[in-house]
Amino acid sequence: MALLKASLWLALPLVAFVSWQARGHHAFSAEFDKEAPVSLEGAVTKVEWINPHAWIHLAVIDDDGTSVAWMVEGGTPNTLLRSGIHKNSLPIGSEIKVRGYQAKDKTCVPACKANGRDLTFADGRKVFMGSSGTGAPRDGADPRER
Amino acid sequence: MNQAIYNFAVWLDTHGWSTALHESFYLYNWIETTHVLTLMFSLGLLFLIDLRMLGLALPGIPAGDLARRLHLPMLLGFSIMLITGLLLFYAIPVRTAQSLWFRMKVVLMVAAAINAWCFHHSMTTAGTGWDTARKAPPALQWGAGLSLCFWMLIVVFGRLIAYDWFDCRTGPPEPFATLSGCINEQTHY
Repeated sequence: MALLKASLWLALPLVAFVSWQARGHHAFSAEFDKEAPVSLEGAVTKVEWINPHAWIHLAVIDDDGTSVAWMVEGGTPNTLLRSGIHKNSLPIGSEIKVRGYQAKDKTCVPACKANGRDLTFADGRKVFMGSSGTGAPRDGADPRER
Repeated sequence: MNQAIYNFAVWLDTHGWSTALHESFYLYNWIETTHVLTLMFSLGLLFLIDLRMLGLALPGIPAGDLARRLHLPMLLGFSIMLITGLLLFYAIPVRTAQSLWFRMKVVLMVAAAINAWCFHHSMTTAGTGWDTARKAPPALQWGAGLSLCFWMLIVVFGRLIAYDWFDCRTGPPEPFATLSGCINEQTHY
């Protein structure tokens, strides 16, 4: 009984913390803005093929012709491989289209940041690049989503 | 100091193994999972001991007995937790070394280690007269309480390393920039 009581007291702050976190388990709603969908077209400038989240950097030419640096977060390298994106499929300079959601932090330093949902290659092939169950909107980007 | 930590992290980052781990398809995920599983195992045992000292758990079991019997499995879990933790740092050294959360976590881990040493010392000098009492002597109760606080904060700060709040890349205001040791974050996560 004492153990039960003690665990309850210990669990309370943890539960409070977890439920606060659950609003944005890494990383969607903690870092990204579901009200700010973006559709980016540009050339790949760099790919960070890293855990726990890969980053694809691209140069997007905006309406008045200036190049804006964007970095788009994907799932783990493993997630991306499973959905059909690997090192050789994203050579530097290749044109891609990424749909996703911009970060809450819109200062764009050192690059505008977004969470990627799906990626379309130059040949029209479209693949899912996020990881599900992290609070990202159910926008149909994930083919496994139900 | 910050420069020395930074230089060390950059040196680790030049290792092929560090990059391999950072870019791995499975190993990083397995290491991270093992880190969290052993955390639950060893802290679960530690919390039982601490709560028993405070008179909040397992009142029927002699306190010293409980501590001695759970000691070995707890240390085994701790060792695996420490090794996997070091590997996680090794995979992403430059960003992690400049993370405010990670730095606070390390300071607390040092505090928890000193506290554990003092706790162990008080237990050996306290004899066994209190073993069946509901609560341990005050020194041990303080140690147990501090241990609970330290480790809960360590877990929370460890989790927060994953978020980019106060990341050097976002240009945090002083004193956070100095406390995080912002020099050049280089990699993200």
